[in-house]
Amino acid sequence: MLEIKPIFNALCRSKVGAVLLLIQIAITTAIVSNAAFIIQDRISYLNQETGYPEQDIFKFNVMTFGTDINLSQQFELDESMLRKMPGVVDAALSSSIPLSGSGSASSFNLKPAPQEGLSVRAAYIFIDDHAINTYGVNLIAGRNFTEDEVLVTNEITQKRTNVTIVTKALLDELYPDGDGLGKIVYFGDLPLKVIGVIGKMKGPWLKDSKPDNFAFIPYIKAESYTQVAVRTEPGQRATVMKEIENAMLANYSKRVINNIKGLDELKNEYTAQDRLMMRMLIVLITILVLITALGIFGLTLFNISKRTKQIGTRRALGARKSAIVSYFLVENALICSLGLALGVVTAILLGKMLMQYFSVAALPPSYIAVTAIAVLLMSLLAVLAPAKRAANISPSIATRTI
Amino acid sequence: MLQMNNVSKVYQTEMVQTHALRDFNLQVNEGEFIAVTGPSGSGKTTFLNIAGMLEPFNEGEYLLDGVNVGSLNDNQRADLRNQKIGFIFQGFNLIPDLNLYENIEVPLRYRGIKANERKRRIEQCLEQVGLASRAKHLPQQLSGGQQQRVAIARALAGEPRFLLADEPTGNLDSLMARQVMELLEQINRDGATIVMVTHDSELARRAPRNIQVVDGQLADFTLYQGAQTIKTASGV
Amino acid sequence: MFIHYLDLSWRSFKRTPLVSFLMVLAIAIGIGITMTSLSVYHMMSADPIPEKSSQLYSVQLQTMDDGSTWWTEDNMPLQLTYQDAENLLNAPTSEKKVAMMRTGFSVYLDSDKIKPFIGSARMTTPDFFSMFDLSFLYGGAWSKEQENSAAPVVVITQEINDKLFAGKNSVGELIYLDDASYQVAGVINHWPLNIKYYDLNNGAFNQVEELFMPFSLIKAKELVSWGNSNGWKHENTPTFADKLQSEQVWIQFWAELNTLEQKQAYQNYLLAYMQEQQKRGRFNRKELEYKLRDVNQWMQYNNVVTEDNKILVGLSFMFLGVCLANILGLLLAKFLRRAPEVGVRRALGASKRQIFLQHLVEVAMLGFIGGMLGIVLAQLGLMGVGQSYDYYENLATMDLTMLLSAPLIAITTCILAGLYPAWLVCKTNPAIYLKSQ
Repeated sequence: MLEIKPIFNALCRSKVGAVLLLIQIAITTAIVSNAAFIIQDRISYLNQETGYPEQDIFKFNVMTFGTDINLSQQFELDESMLRKMPGVVDAALSSSIPLSGSGSASSFNLKPAPQEGLSVRAAYIFIDDHAINTYGVNLIAGRNFTEDEVLVTNEITQKRTNVTIVTKALLDELYPDGDGLGKIVYFGDLPLKVIGVIGKMKGPWLKDSKPDNFAFIPYIKAESYTQVAVRTEPGQRATVMKEIENAMLANYSKRVINNIKGLDELKNEYTAQDRLMMRMLIVLITILVLITALGIFGLTLFNISKRTKQIGTRRALGARKSAIVSYFLVENALICSLGLALGVVTAILLGKMLMQYFSVAALPPSYIAVTAIAVLLMSLLAVLAPAKRAANISPSIATRTI
Repeated sequence: MLQMNNVSKVYQTEMVQTHALRDFNLQVNEGEFIAVTGPSGSGKTTFLNIAGMLEPFNEGEYLLDGVNVGSLNDNQRADLRNQKIGFIFQGFNLIPDLNLYENIEVPLRYRGIKANERKRRIEQCLEQVGLASRAKHLPQQLSGGQQQRVAIARALAGEPRFLLADEPTGNLDSLMARQVMELLEQINRDGATIVMVTHDSELARRAPRNIQVVDGQLADFTLYQGAQTIKTASGV
Repeated sequence: MFIHYLDLSWRSFKRTPLVSFLMVLAIAIGIGITMTSLSVYHMMSADPIPEKSSQLYSVQLQTMDDGSTWWTEDNMPLQLTYQDAENLLNAPTSEKKVAMMRTGFSVYLDSDKIKPFIGSARMTTPDFFSMFDLSFLYGGAWSKEQENSAAPVVVITQEINDKLFAGKNSVGELIYLDDASYQVAGVINHWPLNIKYYDLNNGAFNQVEELFMPFSLIKAKELVSWGNSNGWKHENTPTFADKLQSEQVWIQFWAELNTLEQKQAYQNYLLAYMQEQQKRGRFNRKELEYKLRDVNQWMQYNNVVTEDNKILVGLSFMFLGVCLANILGLLLAKFLRRAPEVGVRRALGASKRQIFLQHLVEVAMLGFIGGMLGIVLAQLGLMGVGQSYDYYENLATMDLTMLLSAPLIAITTCILAGLYPAWLVCKTNPAIYLKSQ
């Protein structure tokens, strides 16, 4: 450590190389810390708990073109057939499918429309009393729909739905005191009594501002184009998915079955861009760190070959090998700490810019700190090998003229 | 053809000023062979570098073939160097990646000479130094004496009127040194003017005119040859 | 002389293979990464219909009452209500215009040869084909009369024609869509569209529809949208007729306005239309608002290029900057080590300019090799991108512009990196290197 001053002086004499390395380290620190933060953000977004056993659920679309049947009756036949299929836990017509990126949302109010009152946006699906079992979600309070409460129709009738099961997140927003169970919420001007609460269940859009606000409404409107959700025993899904088209067509043939997809697959499609971003950033920072390490490695190598004679002379004058190694380590650490200081500032600026122009959250300082330490370690590692090589330069080099 | 009047060169470092040349006066005439001697650090090489326009000088006047060098820009100096001056160095300074042929080609390319004319000249020069059969060899495949002959061939290729040699035999054993010296004498007889820096007094004595540089100044004439030379020198 | 410099550069490349390789690798990786993200960005932001993009305008009307808000940056609904679309369509103005909506049918023939499948359909008006530059393989668009009478006609894509009719001229043939038969009026040529700019509801990179049918069939067949239907106030719409009369927005509308005068006239018309509608109690606003956005403005407004892409492009260029610094360092080392040779060349009559050029040619060559290798890396990167997302397959390619700009960017980067080292080496005093070391 006594050597810092002469090392520093030597550095000042070969500024350009040092400055270049410094810039590399600074930009690397800035990119890596910000990218790591975005990556971490995406990882937690992609791995978030959805409330569903995604691996066991799949959906398919039914498009009926035959006109010689009553759709409502046909769907009831289909449902009971599906529920009896080996490997199937439960199945239900579902007006849209959670996590799929397509669905319906409305405002749920404490007063009937058009009166003004507390209004909360939430996604909803029309589904029957098999909803909870089909989606494998956890009812934490209240009860399920009864069969009588489900309105099944493909006609316009005067009968109206009057109950709902909602997520805790939605209910707590409407009734912040936690006493919402059994109370009324308005779906437009339609009063619905909250009879059950589900702990966690994500709606159709993970990117929604309120992804946890979700409601089941017991209503089956038989339409020619509809979707069906199916839950299977663990490990049975692939088999059931293969059989589903034939089973459905055997029940009634004038229709098309398509879009047979697992819930996890739907989620993957919805999050494809995020996964892509995450992967590209991981590739980017990995290569970036490698390139910077190579840069440090190359520059040290060059410095050593330039100073071969000098190192030989030092050795001849009695310097130990460890002194030579530490010379290069200290030299590198000096450049690196300056680079890191600049890098921290750049990282903060870049983070501010990303926050200003894009919907990226503020960069936590811990990311910069960890990145800085990692870059420092990486740079020391990159110097170690060439420095050891330098230490092995023979003192006799000094006496020869090159 | 070369005339220096009161030329001075100062090296400025952080702390000290070093006068490499002080009020240096010299006239070299067409066809002369001059040996420059002097102790180490006396300014011999600085004189040669200035003569070859490799280094600028601080004060005074330097005329080469009547051209005032001080008034030229870098490109003009490069052209003048390329056309009129051939260099021979102690360390040969052949370019290691290029074979003999290509090494000799370098100055010709900078002069923009056409390929077939280049070929004719290079072959002629290699012939002249006795290395015609080794045109495709790389410098490191040759002995020191051979390398210096290639360097001389390279200096001759541009058909310069001025040959500046800095310790051309410094790295050679005495036998090879003699061969190189004989080659230089031959070139001088063919019409080129030669200025050779050396610290080998035996070699210096073979040159018709000797000058000595001490402390950046032309200190003394050592006259071995005829009256004509003395006359010229004293005229300076 | 250039050829000679290239020759020298190549020798120099071979003399220090490791350093040269590192430099080429650095530039190749930098270019590879930058080109990967830039290509995707380029394909996403490329003008999908360059010869007409400034004449096609998406029409937006501010139908919401004062005080209601939308999620768009200017608070405007993205689509029109059915009634507005129908009114604008029937307006006695001369420009081409199109109202449309995406839906779908089960498609089958009167035989068992083809298994029924689901086809997506665009319900639109006959101007659609000429406005968006579609060309016909067989037949053509349906007539104005057929449009007005909700005739059962359909234009199909080449792909569907291959599937149903083995590629033969199917004009006049019947196909079944849901419960009715429709006559084929035309077959359009393959329509390669990277960005489905005319309807961004289902995602900008979704595929184009397979069937094109009269807009008037929406009402006749009570067709529901496969895109978005949005409302801003509570309305009970138990019947389809209610929905058609509601304030829900679910129809896309475009107008082709070829001159400034035409655009001005259309703007006047839109204002007059809204004032007219105000008398019926709609457009309850102090200030009437409409928006005409051309294709590129529309794509920008809808954020077709995602934020992620912009961030990636930015970070990639910073990455390229690191590579540049890296190369600069290595070039500096390499060139300075060559100073003695440069000294000899200077002594032999090379001018500074010649030395400078020699070194620039050398870095340009490094850039060229690196750029070529970078294209290969970018192709690998794009393959990865294409596989990660179905819709990205068409986007994750390099068009000619990108292929040409890769070596160009590489060479520019290298020359930028090489300027300083080349300048440094050409201005060094040759004299100090000539004396034997």
